[in-house]
Amino acid sequence: MNARRASIVWTVLGLAALAVFVASLALGSIAVSPLRVIQALVSQSTDVIDEIVLSLRLPRALGGFASGALLGMAGALLQVLLRNPLAEPYVLGVSGGAAAFALAAMLFSLSWWSVDAAAFAGAFLSILLVLGLARRELWRGEPQDASPRLLLTGAVIAAGWGALITLMLAVAPENRLRGMVFWLTGDLNGVAMPWAALIALAVALVAIVPVAPQLNILLRGDVAAEALGVPVVRLRLRVYLVASLAAAAAVTTAGTIGFIGLVVPHVLRLAFGNDQRMLLPASALGGGLAVMGADLIARTVIAPAQLPVGVITALIGVPVFLWMLLRRAP
Amino acid sequence: MNGLQVSQLTLRVVDRVLIADLTQTFASGEMWCIAGPNGAGKTTLIAALAGLSKAASGSISLDGKALREWRSNDLARRRALMPQATHDAFSATVLDTVMLNRFPHLTGWGWESDADRAAAHTALDTLGLATFASRDVLSLSGGERQRVALAATLCQDAPLLLLDEPLAHLDLHHQIDCLEALGEWIGSKPRSVIFSCHDLNLARRFATHALLLDGAGHTHAGPVCDVLTPERASAAFGYPLTLIQQDGHEALVPVMRSTSP
Repeated sequence: MNARRASIVWTVLGLAALAVFVASLALGSIAVSPLRVIQALVSQSTDVIDEIVLSLRLPRALGGFASGALLGMAGALLQVLLRNPLAEPYVLGVSGGAAAFALAAMLFSLSWWSVDAAAFAGAFLSILLVLGLARRELWRGEPQDASPRLLLTGAVIAAGWGALITLMLAVAPENRLRGMVFWLTGDLNGVAMPWAALIALAVALVAIVPVAPQLNILLRGDVAAEALGVPVVRLRLRVYLVASLAAAAAVTTAGTIGFIGLVVPHVLRLAFGNDQRMLLPASALGGGLAVMGADLIARTVIAPAQLPVGVITALIGVPVFLWMLLRRAP
Repeated sequence: MNGLQVSQLTLRVVDRVLIADLTQTFASGEMWCIAGPNGAGKTTLIAALAGLSKAASGSISLDGKALREWRSNDLARRRALMPQATHDAFSATVLDTVMLNRFPHLTGWGWESDADRAAAHTALDTLGLATFASRDVLSLSGGERQRVALAATLCQDAPLLLLDEPLAHLDLHHQIDCLEALGEWIGSKPRSVIFSCHDLNLARRFATHALLLDGAGHTHAGPVCDVLTPERASAAFGYPLTLIQQDGHEALVPVMRSTSP
């Protein structure tokens, strides 16, 4: 991998994302030509088509892109932090905390914005919980490899949230159950303009792309990284915070969309290698592309009815991942 | 003042003193073997010499400057550490894995230059691994992986190498090839190597100096044949050894336990 090959990967993914973005604005119950979409984006007029493109489809497409990009990047980061190919954005309990709080808000039929606020509060609480319990692994230099204990701490907290979620689903009244299950699967229906997720994406990229060369070294082990001049403890804390806050922002925007954080980094890694300098921006572009595309399918395949986007990401993600994995087997 | 100076170094684990009050200079051009029984503190000492141990008391300085005062990037260009274990969670080519050790030399956006690539190829050539460049590290045997780790350490281009068990998992002729390569590497510029090793005979043949630990705080340091003597090695390892000689070759061998009553 070198800078030129990485830019080619990013350009191809970026162009594909742009194509899906335009398609997301053009397709739906009323099909609009791509030229008309561009006209709606740049002109000041406000007829019905402009209204549909700008107020319904644009926030939804951007919300899908931002949450997918955050999930793709968070997955790639946690796979490095935990040195474990099976790690994904939800493995340390961020989404569990978000889901438990969001479902509680829905159970007490609070307004939509308070469900979002509750989701972020739950994710943030879960991040603090792991920070407190795994402080030796995340804050202080431990002589031995710290990732297995951090993984176990997060996994147990995630299991705890899972129990709370099951409890709430069990006692929830019938008429709220459908909304709760959609939220858990990941749903972009009714997303408002996702400023928070877009800002979170920009902040996460700025915070992590400059240290991508150090992340390649971190994969070789803590002692080797420290000996090469990488500040391991500080780097680990930064990776944990960026990945967790990225996952929290994604979950707050779109619910717990599955498989993106696991599958997208792996597909890119199998295709282009495991160089974090290429992989982190590529995972963001690839994740955004995947969720935006999946949501386009989710709202058009059985239109006018809509599916939760998480169902589509899972249905497509599982066979694609298996194919990529087994193709390489000797 | 060039070289690595250790003064009044004491290393402890939990309740045991591994090394007490060690004062020693490791000069340029020397190849040191650190020997001692399991748990005697070889890895702990190498980590301390690399500046990675917070528990070490006493002072360690490199080129006259205390290790903790070095900037981490400058230190990584001055000394390289090869840890005992390597982690490979994901596929990567041998060339990319070796090139990771060019990290202290990277500039700008952190992409390797052609010079870094050339250094990695040279390091692979030095250890006879030229044909391995595009292999996946996950497909290597334990011994092959170990040689790739050594090539990565050489590629870092630091004048002081600290190698923790570099010969583990290697068969005899690769052990000798690696030690000869390290000997040539030292000879070409003012460089030095400190490595830990369990084979006292290879140490006597290839190292210039030895540091013998007994795990109870005692150390012996000096020219290799003055330190790895039958008497001192027997005491450190807790088993009687004897030196046998034939046709100008020498070997330390364990004394057979008497089987007759």
